[in-house]
Order: sequence, then structure tokens, then C-alpha cells
Amino acid sequence: MYKLASLIIKNRIILLVAIGLITIFFTYQLQYLRINSDFIKSLPNDDFVANQYKILGKKYKGTDMGMIILETENVYNVKVIENIKQITDSLRTFEGISTITSLTNIINIKSDTAGIEIGKLIDEYNLPTTQAEIDQIKQKVNEKDMYKGSIVSEDGKATIVLFTLQGDVNQQDLATEIRKKIDPLPIKAKVLFGGFPMMLKDISDLIIKDMLWLIPAVSIVLLIVLLVSFKSLKATILPLLTVGIASVWTLGLMAMLKYDITMIGGVIPVVLAAVGSAYAIHVVNYARQLTDKNYLENLTQSLAYLFLPVFLSSLTTVFGFVSFIFGSYLLMIKDFGMFAAVGTFFAFLLSITFIPAILSFLPNKIQNVENEEIKPSILSDYILLPLKNLLFKHPKYIFTFWILVLIFGILASLKMERNTNISAFFKKGNSTRVSEEILQTKFGGSSPVFIEFKGDIQSPELLKKMSEMEEVIKQNPYVSTTTSVAALIEELNDAMGEGYKIPDEKAKIEQLWFLLDGQDVMQQLVSENLDAGVIQSRFASNKSTDTEAFIKSINEYIQKNSTPDCKISLNGMPSIYRQMDKSLLNSQMSSLALAIVFVFFLIGFSLKSFKMGFYGIMPIFATIILLFGFMGIAQIPLDIATVLVASVALGIGIDYSIHIISSFNFYFNQTGNVHQAMEKTILISGKAIVINAISVAAGFLVLLFSQIVPIQFFGLLIAISMFSSAFGALTLLPIIIILRVKSKQ
Amino acid sequence: MKSILSMATILMILLSVAQVNAQDGNSILQKVDEVMFSPNDMSATNKIILIDKNQKQETREAKVIQKGTDKRLFRFTSPASQAGIAFLSLPNDVMYLYMPAFAKERRISTSVKNQNFAGTDFSYDDLEAKAFASKYTPKLLKTEGNTFVLELTPKTKGEYSKVIATINKTEYYVHKTEFYDNGNKKIKEAIYTFKKIGKYWNPAEIVMTDLKKNHKTKMIMENVKYDTGLKDDDFTVRKLVQ
Repeated sequence: MYKLASLIIKNRIILLVAIGLITIFFTYQLQYLRINSDFIKSLPNDDFVANQYKILGKKYKGTDMGMIILETENVYNVKVIENIKQITDSLRTFEGISTITSLTNIINIKSDTAGIEIGKLIDEYNLPTTQAEIDQIKQKVNEKDMYKGSIVSEDGKATIVLFTLQGDVNQQDLATEIRKKIDPLPIKAKVLFGGFPMMLKDISDLIIKDMLWLIPAVSIVLLIVLLVSFKSLKATILPLLTVGIASVWTLGLMAMLKYDITMIGGVIPVVLAAVGSAYAIHVVNYARQLTDKNYLENLTQSLAYLFLPVFLSSLTTVFGFVSFIFGSYLLMIKDFGMFAAVGTFFAFLLSITFIPAILSFLPNKIQNVENEEIKPSILSDYILLPLKNLLFKHPKYIFTFWILVLIFGILASLKMERNTNISAFFKKGNSTRVSEEILQTKFGGSSPVFIEFKGDIQSPELLKKMSEMEEVIKQNPYVSTTTSVAALIEELNDAMGEGYKIPDEKAKIEQLWFLLDGQDVMQQLVSENLDAGVIQSRFASNKSTDTEAFIKSINEYIQKNSTPDCKISLNGMPSIYRQMDKSLLNSQMSSLALAIVFVFFLIGFSLKSFKMGFYGIMPIFATIILLFGFMGIAQIPLDIATVLVASVALGIGIDYSIHIISSFNFYFNQTGNVHQAMEKTILISGKAIVINAISVAAGFLVLLFSQIVPIQFFGLLIAISMFSSAFGALTLLPIIIILRVKSKQ
Repeated sequence: MKSILSMATILMILLSVAQVNAQDGNSILQKVDEVMFSPNDMSATNKIILIDKNQKQETREAKVIQKGTDKRLFRFTSPASQAGIAFLSLPNDVMYLYMPAFAKERRISTSVKNQNFAGTDFSYDDLEAKAFASKYTPKLLKTEGNTFVLELTPKTKGEYSKVIATINKTEYYVHKTEFYDNGNKKIKEAIYTFKKIGKYWNPAEIVMTDLKKNHKTKMIMENVKYDTGLKDDDFTVRKLVQ
């Protein structure tokens, strides 16, 4: 270690120049950094559901659906109808949009004694101009489920323009262009945007907003915490500079390797600031106590001493992040794990190179080495001392308290929910969330559902099953609208005077089909080769439990009715969400298990005792149970960001245990007295632990100001985990150690 | 003063040219109508080939008879699943549909004329046998080689903002029509091949391309006979059902 340390100190100028150059290089790379919030792409390329979804998109002119909502006093108004046409026409100019459905272009099949008419509900080139004409349209809308509650709200106060995107188009760019084009239109109604592509764009905007102001905010919070704790400019600026450079390197590397910033990737700099500053603080703080005499030699020696603990501390955190690479199914989480780990490693590297190199030019003014004596302070007088007294007086009570808390945590964690639905990522009152709520309550939701029937799509048997299935799914409280070719055939059959049903003879179906041939809507409902067709619907809940129940009921029906001649399958956003949901739970389990095993072995090896390794993970284990319990009680769902908390907390919080154990071992060897050793441990290490927990928690609490709900929860939960693991390391762990040593004696 | 005068002169010259052009446009279009709609009646077999963006083809055949410009009976003969389906068009947008599987006829209306006819790239509007002059206001854009290029502006609002027609200078049949939407974007294009049969010019082949969908419809007319003396009685619902 000494060799390495002296190598660093000797080559400090070369090191500083190299770090400077690398930083310039990665800063230059930052311009290529791209934001991508499309988390469907987060499912791996070989994911069956995601692949089927893509295939469906190609087959039926796009599965990704956007919506423009017009909210007004009364939709049935000459001006509003004109506006709908304006919006429809504007959307037509986009190459990336494959289909548009609105009040002014929707198909209408009409039949009466005079005959049948297959046309449009409104002639867009001859828009209604009188109230009488408008009233006629209103009547038609109210007669058909296809329009009412689907394209015009039941109360007649809102209408939507639906559009689907071509599969290969960049959704976020297109969404941006659409807003640019629609926003300036002179629309006499409130215009809102909804649907997955529009939400992706909004999330991307929020990621940028978040990054632009959360990073400075975290820096300021850290600055204050460090300044208050150390009352030294050097001890404040250097750690901040270190995590700043580590962040630039990490983001620069992401840009260079063409990795996009995702919703959770955006918090990497915040994570690095909170986590990485600890290593830098360690080095700076240690060096502050060096005397001026033989400064460089002292610095080299202390660096040699610090190398291992700082390395271990960063290694546990890196392991916490690495567990996502191996334990997670979702690419977004894997990427986060990879770059957070790389960033943590950068922060470690800089702490042992950059900081000593700079420090070597900044000798201390202190002449005497400060002794590691216990100085009275608010922290030790009011928290640590009473805590120590309580521990020694009532170890069993505290142990029982922890057991009760854990039982409670386990029970409460059973209530934990999961959420992968993007609409819940927006804060209450956010316009995207508002439009999503309108879509859910008035238009049957924005999550497209596709039930595909493979087989001869013109056969009566298949169409009858399709029609039956439509009735089945409409029974779900969150499904209010369906469209299929079966429904159109039934309507035409009725128009031919044979009743609202699928004809028994194929010949009849083929001839009715002739009338539908070439209608725009047909491309969305049947495959080109007529060997498959879909029921298109929308699902109006973003709760995992509702989605699960819906998918289960549909799959039960599919199992009973799917035959080789008529293969039925379900896909769509609910299926994608469910896939993400399942993988969230799996990710949580496997990444956490991996992280625990990693860390257990790491402490075991470093303390040369696996028993100690086992005790060491107890506080963090308890913290994780508490964390899940808290999520259960506070109704914070497991989502794309909160799924990260447990492993990250483990990686950071385990340091507290290492601190306590190694400190106890040291003093116990010195004194041979359990109580004395533990008292010193709690008062000396306890202080460092509490300060670290406060500064890390403060850094993460800044995320409460994020615009994205899961990120807010992420910040809150990490902060809670930090306090809990500090508390665990200062109560639960000492008691286990005391009881253990006592039982031995 | 001088410059104002000369500007006025230029303006007047320009205006008079425009007038001459307008007149020219009108007279050209009238001649086109004469060529296209002069036969008393016509019967033919129609082959309709639908070509999708992957060049996959689907062929339909139909027999068509027509009298004047507003009576037409169109009966599909193949493929088997569509054989027998027939459309009867009568004056004033009256149209009947017959479906043999149902053994029933139904009056069918297309209140919206921009809808495509039976999966082809022709809209009902495109297939209408109405004189150009009654539908469009022409403007002569230029003469190019052996053609006139006319800009036709629809007299009633519809799918197209304008149609650019290229017309044979000597025979007054159409070479090409290009259809522009209301955003002034070319959306469809039709290429005509005319053949002289007897004294009439016949559109032996029309290829209509939907540029947005990248889909083509080729309409080939064969066994064309003109002026065989078809009667009004051949265009009745009773005949449709037969």
C-alpha cells in the first residue's frame, strides 16, 4: 500500500494533468448525451411480450397511441367541430403517424329503409354549419358505443383525436413536433395531450428539468452540510469537486458508449454526489490532522493507511450497484447499476489520487496532531451517550424492540404495491397526469389492448369468437370501448336486414367484407393477408392489481377458446406493464439476494470472520425489512426507481457495520473490556456514522423536489434507509455483539 | 410617372394573358370532355389489379356497361368470393348494391365521395363519369412538348385542393392527372394510356397510385364496344338482381 501511495504522491503533477485532460475529454463528450424515457425499450430485445408488441405494431399500423383531448363546454358546436378537423388535418402532415381517428373522420355505417350507407360520421369537406346538423351528429354519437365514451365523452364536454405511430419512428421527437404544430392552432377549447408517446416526451422534459436544477441543489446541500460539519473550505470544496469530476466522467462515458439517460439514469449524479463525497471526505478529513513537518511523507503514510478502508467502503457500494447488472431483467436498471458502479469507482479513484495530489500543494497550518479523544458535543451528549446507557442497561429490551419492529415490518411489507404505469410517474396536478385522468374517466383510458385472433379472419367461427370475446372484455370495469372487424361485419349484416350478428355462411362475410375493403380502419383491425385480426381496446386503470386481474380473466377465456384454427393471444400496454411488473419483483429479489451475498463475503473476508460478516449484515437486513414495511404502510409502490433503494441502501449502509465491528475489535483488543470497548466505539465511530448518514440522507432528500414521482420516493426511501441503518448499526449490532461476547464469557 | 405608366402596361398585359389563358383552359377542358364522354354507350370487361407496397398483386375482374355519363352497371366476375357483387349507378348519386350471397339489393349511398371504391385507390369521386368542366375551373399553366398542362380547381370543396392534368395537344385525351391535398401536397397520381377504338379514344389502362400508402391500382379495359344501343332498361334494379 505504501508503494502505491508514494507512487501517487510522486507523480502528482502527471496525475493532475491526466485527470484534467480526461475531464476535458469527457466534458466534450457530454454534448452527445441523449435523453430516452421509453421504458418499453427497457425490456430486453428477446423479451417475448415486447417483441410481440412490436410485431403487432407493424401488422396493424402502430400500437403506440397518442391522444389530443379537447375540453370545452359543449363539443357539439360548429367551431369545435372545425377545430377537430383542423387538428386532424395537422396530424395528417406527419410522416410518422400511420392512422388518425377523430370525430371528423371516423367511419359510420348507417342503415334504414332507404338503404345502407358506409361513410363517415361527418363529411369533413362539408362540415356541419347549422345547429340542426350538429344535433343530428349528437344523436348519432349517442346511439353508438363506438363513439360515445370512446371518441366523445358521455357528458359531451370533451372529445379526443386518436393517432397511432409507425413502429420505427422516434416517439419523443415526433411528440415534440406534434406539440409544436398543435399548440399554436387557434383552438376554442382546452387542449391536452395524452397517451404513451406524449407521456414519454413529457417525462423526458422532466428528466432534463430535474437534472438541470437537482444537481446544483444537491451540490448546495452538500456544501452546507460539509461546511457545518468541518468548518473548512478545503474539506468542503475538494469532495464536491471530486464528485463533480466523477459525474462528468460517468456521464461522458455514457455519451461515448451511446447509452441514453433514462428516467433513473438522471439521478446518477445525485447518487454519486451523496455516495462518492464520503470517500473524499474521509481522505480530506484524515489529511487535515497531519502536521506541517514532513508533510508529504505524512500524507503518503496516511494515504497508505486509508487506501484499504476507502477501497472496501466503495467496493460494497459498487457491489450494491453491480447486483443490478446481474440481478435485473430491465435494461434501464442494468444500465443504472453499471454506470452508478463505474461512477462510484471513479469517485474512489479520484479520492485516492486527485485529492492527495491537490492536498500535497496545500500544507496544513495545524502544528499538533489532534487526538482521537471524545470531545463533548451535542451529538455525543444528547444522542450517543444516552443511547449507550440505554444499550448497556436494557440490551434485551432493545433487542425485543427490534424483533417487534421487524415482525411489524414484515407484516406491513405484505401490503406493498407495485407500479410500472408511466402515468403514475407524474405529480398530481401535472397536465399530463390531468389528461391521463380525463382519458381514464371519460374515454376508457389510454393504454391500448390488443387481442389477436390468428386464423381465417373471414371464417364465421373465428368472427363469432371475436364477437364473444368483445362481450367478455367489456365486462371488465376498466374496459369501455372495443373495436373489431367482427363488430363491423355484424353492423353490415344488420344493414343487409339479417340481424346484428355474424352470418353463418362464409360467402356472406366475404361479400360484406367487400364493402369494408379499403376503409382506413381496416388496416388497424386485420392483417394484410387476412390470416389474423385484432380486437382493439383500451384499459383504464394504472393499478398493478387491476391489470393483473384483467389479464388473468382474458387468459382464462383464451385458454378455453383458443384452437389451432383460431389462436388467440393478448398483448398491449397492460401486458407490457405486467411484464415490467413481474420483472420488477424478480429484479428486486435477485439483485437484493446477490448484493447480500456479495457483501456478506466481502465483510467476512475483510474481517476474517464469517460470523462477524453475518452480524454485520444484520442492521442492514433489518433496514431493508423496515424499508419494505414503510413502503407497505405509506403506499409507496415498488417501481422502476424504488426498486433500486434496497440494494443501494445495502451498499452504503453496510459501511456503518464495518465501522462498528472493526472499531470494536480494535478497542476490545486494547482493553479486553466489552463495555469500555463498545462505549468508545459508539462515541467515536458513532459520530462519524451519524454525520455520514445525515449528509447522505440530506443529499438524497433533495430528490423530494424532483418532478418525477418515483424519483421523489427514491430520495425519501434512501434517506430513511440511511437513518435506519445508522440506527441499526448503533443499537442492534452492538447488542448482538455484547450478547454474543457475554455468552462466550 | 413613366414608371407608373409602364407598370400599368405590364399589369394590363399580364391580366390579358391571364384571360387568354383562362379561355384557353376552358376550351381545352371542353375538348377533353368531348373526347372522354362522347360515346352513347359502352360495354367492356374491366381488370382491376391492386398492387401493394410489397408489389403483391390481387386481381379482380368485372363487366361494366355504361350509358351516357350517369348510368353504369358494374358487376364483378372474379375472384369467386366476390363474383356477382354488382353496383348500379343512376343519375343524382343514386346507387344500388347487389350481393348474391344475400340475394338482396340495397340502396347504397356514399355521402362522402372521397372514400375509396372497394379497396381500390380510386375514390367514388374519381370514378364518377362527370364532365371535367362541370367539376373544375381550369387554368392553363403551360404547354410542354405535345401537351397542355392544366391546373384544375374543384368547384366544390373536397379532398383535393387542385388537380394538375397533362393533356394531349392534338387528340385532347389525358396523359396524367396529379392530385393535391388541401396542404398542397401531392397525394395521388393517375397515368392514362389511351387507345383509339373505332372513332373513340378509350382509356385502355389507368394506373392510380396512392403516394402516401404506396399502393397502386391498375385498371385495364378490354373487349371494349361502343354504341351497341344499350337501353335505359338495362340499368334498372331488376337487371341488377339478375
